[in-house]
Amino acid sequence: MINIASNKYADVEMSGNTCFVGTNNFGKTSLQRAILFFYSANSRGLGISASQKPFEEHYFRYENSFLVYEVATEEKNFFVIIYRHHKLNFRFVDSPYNPDFFFNENDEALKIGDVLKKLDKFGIYYSNQIDTFERYRNILYGTETDKMLSKFHILRGNEKYQNIPKSITNVFLSSKSSIDSRFIKDFIANSLSSESTSIKLEQVERQLRQFNEKYTDIETYLKKETQQLIELIDKKFDQVKMLKGSQLEMADKLGSSLKYAEVQNESIRDASKQKEEELDTLQNEHNAQKEHIEGKQQDIREEIGYYDRTIREANKKLKEYQSQNIEDAVEKNKQREQLQVELNMARKEYETLTSNVSSIELKYSTLMEQLKNERGSYINNINAKTSTIFNDYNERQLLAKNELNKKENELKQRREDALADASAEITSKQIEFNELKSEEKVIRNTRFYEAEIKQLETELAELRAVTYKNRSEKAIKSNLIQTLQKEWEATEAKIKSSLANQVTKVNNEIIKKKTEIKEIEGKLEVQDGALYGFLEGNIKDWHNTIGKVCNEDILFRTDLEPEVQKEVINSLYGVSLKLDSVNIVSKSLEEYQGAKNELLAQIRELEDSLNQFQVSNNEEKMLAADRYGKQLGELKEDVKVLSYSLELAEKREKKLMLELDDWKQKASEEIEASLSGNRNKFNLVEEELSILNKKKNNMLNDFNLQFEQLRAYHLDRIADLKERQEAEIKDIETEKDKTVASFDAKEKEMNEEKETSFKSKGVDSKQVKEVDKKIKQIQEDIKEIEQYSQIVNDYLKDKRELFDKLPDLIQKKEEYMKSSQELNNQLEEANRKFNLKNMELRKQKRSFDEELIEFNNGINYFTKNFRETPVYNKYEDVIERAEPKKTNYSVMDLCTQLLKNDSHFNEEYGAFQRYVNEFAGKFRMDNHFNFMIRNDASQAEYERFAQNVSNFIHENKIELSIAETATQIGLVTDSIASKVKELSGQQEKIQHIITLIADDFKKAEFEESKLIEFIKIKLEESDNKVYKMLKKIEEFKDEHGVFYGEGLFNTDYATGGKNKEINNRAVKLLENLRLSIKEQEQEEIRLQDLFELKFNIKEGMNETGWTHKIDSIGSTGTDILVKAIIYITLLHVFIKESSHRSSKAFKVHCIIDEVGQISAHYLKELLKFAKNRNIMMINGLPNKSGLESHYKYTYQFRREEDGNVRIFPSIVTEVEA
Amino acid sequence: MENTNNNTGGNISTNVKLPKQTHDIFAIMARGHFISSNGTKDGMNRLYDVINNPENFDNLQAYFNVIRYNIERGNNFFYFAKIDEANSLIEKKLESFEKYIDIIDLFASMDNKITIGSRFRPSEIAEECNANVRLKQKLQKIPLYRSETLSNKVREICDLMTRDSFLEREDEESETYKVLDSYTYLMDIVNSIAIYEDTGNSGTEPAGGIIYN
Repeated sequence: MINIASNKYADVEMSGNTCFVGTNNFGKTSLQRAILFFYSANSRGLGISASQKPFEEHYFRYENSFLVYEVATEEKNFFVIIYRHHKLNFRFVDSPYNPDFFFNENDEALKIGDVLKKLDKFGIYYSNQIDTFERYRNILYGTETDKMLSKFHILRGNEKYQNIPKSITNVFLSSKSSIDSRFIKDFIANSLSSESTSIKLEQVERQLRQFNEKYTDIETYLKKETQQLIELIDKKFDQVKMLKGSQLEMADKLGSSLKYAEVQNESIRDASKQKEEELDTLQNEHNAQKEHIEGKQQDIREEIGYYDRTIREANKKLKEYQSQNIEDAVEKNKQREQLQVELNMARKEYETLTSNVSSIELKYSTLMEQLKNERGSYINNINAKTSTIFNDYNERQLLAKNELNKKENELKQRREDALADASAEITSKQIEFNELKSEEKVIRNTRFYEAEIKQLETELAELRAVTYKNRSEKAIKSNLIQTLQKEWEATEAKIKSSLANQVTKVNNEIIKKKTEIKEIEGKLEVQDGALYGFLEGNIKDWHNTIGKVCNEDILFRTDLEPEVQKEVINSLYGVSLKLDSVNIVSKSLEEYQGAKNELLAQIRELEDSLNQFQVSNNEEKMLAADRYGKQLGELKEDVKVLSYSLELAEKREKKLMLELDDWKQKASEEIEASLSGNRNKFNLVEEELSILNKKKNNMLNDFNLQFEQLRAYHLDRIADLKERQEAEIKDIETEKDKTVASFDAKEKEMNEEKETSFKSKGVDSKQVKEVDKKIKQIQEDIKEIEQYSQIVNDYLKDKRELFDKLPDLIQKKEEYMKSSQELNNQLEEANRKFNLKNMELRKQKRSFDEELIEFNNGINYFTKNFRETPVYNKYEDVIERAEPKKTNYSVMDLCTQLLKNDSHFNEEYGAFQRYVNEFAGKFRMDNHFNFMIRNDASQAEYERFAQNVSNFIHENKIELSIAETATQIGLVTDSIASKVKELSGQQEKIQHIITLIADDFKKAEFEESKLIEFIKIKLEESDNKVYKMLKKIEEFKDEHGVFYGEGLFNTDYATGGKNKEINNRAVKLLENLRLSIKEQEQEEIRLQDLFELKFNIKEGMNETGWTHKIDSIGSTGTDILVKAIIYITLLHVFIKESSHRSSKAFKVHCIIDEVGQISAHYLKELLKFAKNRNIMMINGLPNKSGLESHYKYTYQFRREEDGNVRIFPSIVTEVEA
Repeated sequence: MENTNNNTGGNISTNVKLPKQTHDIFAIMARGHFISSNGTKDGMNRLYDVINNPENFDNLQAYFNVIRYNIERGNNFFYFAKIDEANSLIEKKLESFEKYIDIIDLFASMDNKITIGSRFRPSEIAEECNANVRLKQKLQKIPLYRSETLSNKVREICDLMTRDSFLEREDEESETYKVLDSYTYLMDIVNSIAIYEDTGNSGTEPAGGIIYN
């Protein structure tokens, strides 16, 4: 040691049992640690507590601090330098140690560079800087491959060489005086195992927890109540979506309607005004036209009246003429001239005849004339009288007639007036009636809400077309789903069968390998008692001789009883053979072990490959699940969407149908309403019309009666007058007849006198009489004719002026009548057109007005009753963003409906949220499905959650999760089983070591001293609960082979039932393991947890019995001795186990501190025991007690004044070693 | 609550196969607590599944009837009812229930209503109460002792409800509580409360107040 800790220089010889004597805190343990570091080269495994300075800092304080170990082999000496250059480094130097290498002429320690220069100067080989502990150990224990460094091997270690430093370390570190089997267990286990051979329970627990969590999640998911909740969520979500959609639609409509109302308000107002103006114009135009037509009608009526009157008068006159036999009169009048001629001729004849008696004639003519005149005068007088009377009465009659006429005219006038009034009234009613009639006709022909109905019909047709398309698409997609499902099932079946095949194949191979391993193990087990063991122990290099000619069967036979015969040692039954070219048949134990390890590795590889296959198979399965699941999910989603749209379409169709019916109903109601209004009016007008007609008729009858009464009175008066006239005239006529008769008698008398005179004068009186008679007759005729001449003249005049023109008049009247009719028609048509137009315009105006009112009402309602509500806030965006558009709904209706629907929506949404909360609450907070919803989640988050659940179902993600979990249970089980197997694999080694230890104990020569009769050791099964559970899982795996959790959740009824029991067992085992781990709170399962060790020690009469812990067997010394014996045995066994058999014997140190309480006798026994096992003891003693005399070297420790510790040899005596 | 399994006899445990969790079940329910299907602490959901198994249920019912307990089944939860319980005890229970009326009223008045399965932190409720005068008043009205801050009061409510197995503290770190299925029991009781007015025309009727159906 050069400048190590508080020691400047110490040179300690240790080629035998060595003892350090010194009081506490003088550096005994530090020195022992430095020795231990040579073997272990692990600065952290030296038992330095965390509160102390690390090894590097405590030991290597300076640049020129060195630990130098000199090793003596059979051939030569070499040494190792350990120094610190940032970290600890090693150099092997091929030379015996010489302090000069490290010091200068002033005895000052050199730095490593200078040391190396010195070595170079001396031409000494030294290794490169070795900067890892591992490599240093590899060089020291003979596993380094660099041939240049092989000279520095202290032995030829095998793969287990690490046990040697471990064992030495463990012995040093176990300072307890009591012997606890746990320590021995740890000792054995630590020597056998490395860090990686333990089962990290944290890792296992994590795997188990992950599995358990997934399993619980899936189990929760598959529960009936959870499934019910999913259905409820799905259903409610659809409802909520639909409601929300309809609310949004309605909000949009509301926005559109509002904007439309705002935009249209002014224009509708203008339009209404315009319509009003149009109505006025129409009315004016109509009035003008009507006036014009009526003017014309009036003219025509006057014309007709004139013609009618003229015709009537003409007819009347004609009738009157006819009643006076005008035709005869006219005929007779035509004969008047001829009669005049005849009269003149008769008069000439008369004159001729009476020319002889002219005086008589004259006399008588005068007399006659006189008489005639008298008569004439009398008649005239009478006639005058009669005429006066006649005239008087005629006058009276005329007066009466005039009066009648006057009265009749008055009455007529009244009648005309009344008639005119009534007719005007009737006409106006008739017009009204006609208007109503044409209005009804118009109404009947009007299609109310035509636009709406048409729009609905179009929408319905489009909807039906889309529905038809969706239906076919749904059918196609459903078929596709079935096909994909079948494909998926086929793929899964293929994957499963390929896995099963691979499992069978690999299991067969594993079984085969295991058989081979068993064979090797059989050989290894029997080798000690067989020829092989014998040869190993007794014949050097037998592999090169016997090994070449002896087959394995013979080598491992135990019944051959081999013995060494010196004579034939290099021959085959005395025959020597040159075996250089013969191959070695036999194998070394290491080779068997190697072969076994290789087979084990192959099994592991096979298992790994199977696992890999399983993983890839699962991946394939998952890929298929992913591929098909995704496709199926998408398709199912599509089908769902289609079903949903079909459902919606159906609802929409129903709604549209209802709307259409509504509109139609409304239209017909509108028609009916209009018609009923019209009809009422119509009936009223009709009734009024009939009343008016009746009234008119009554009035006419009344007037007729009055006329009749007037006429009757008049006729009565006339009759009376005529009666009186006739009576008076009759009286006068009677007198006249009397007087005329007297005149006629007188005339006759005169005529007779005359005749007598004529006769007396000879004149033919007869001829004169005849001529006279003829003259009289003609005169009579002319007189008669003249009597009618006035009437005839009048008649002829009338005929000329009236009667002949009558056809023309009639025709003209008819023409006027026709014109009048035409004008009537014109008026009627104009009225009809006007009414129609008027109605249309009024309707339009009314509709504008109504719309305006509705808009204003809507806007008012919206402002007062809607804008302040939360519903508005909710849909503000939609409402405010909407485009102005006319909708079929009023703003008020939309507001009311939105408010109403919102309360319904809130109810439904509340239920939806409740279901989501309940559903999510069923799962763990961090469940692997990510079914988690915060309490303050927004609506969007709730909807996203429901959407995710829906996607989860439609993409059948549960299957994927189940597959993953099933794989996981397989992998976890497998991983645990492999780990347990790997760890349990060491159990054989433990058994082997324990056997060796037991044997070594047996070999101990305790019998001589009888101090310790025996030390027995035995293995027992572990009572570690976790390990037991782990073991059960391994057994489960062995029983069921590669387990891949098929039908873990019993969703696949084809396989679920079969595997149910196995799955349940597996799940239960894993759960129990998890609970055990949690309960036991152990970090890892190490080799020492796999078994229990028990000792039985007998010292003198004291026997401990089989026990885990030996607190005191006897005195403390005895205990230390036993402990040391056990350590030495362990060390011996491990050294033997960790080096090649071909390795030459070598010695190691066993460092046990504090052996002060051991008795000299015991120490002697102990040192002897160690020596027999090539072990040199290094012990610490607190002070000199005589015990040191048993050691080859004894060093004392003393603290100098400067605080440094000096180590110096004390007594160098070896009493017995 | 009548005993439906009086004829099971005293040696029932020897005749029927009881689940191994019987003791755990009894330990929870005999304290007047509930076993809810969505509870996760101490394997509550597993215990629920055990009781919910029809075979186990019958056996457990028969077994507990002997000691005069009846297992009552709610919507996804179980609890014990004492057979022939004294009226005075029932009255006491009702009295102790009264404070829950205000708590449920508060929970139901939150913006995000607290329902079965809801997960929340007391601080969230306290914040909402702080921001809403109505809720604040409701919270302040609840007669509990530790009322220096709203948060503490809510915490106290949560502790009380957790103790009575209506809530579960699911995550210690984030102080997250979950509402268990047994909350339905509270809701049912509150829903069965009938409030009547004193009509004043009948001398025999008691004064206005609440009665429990």
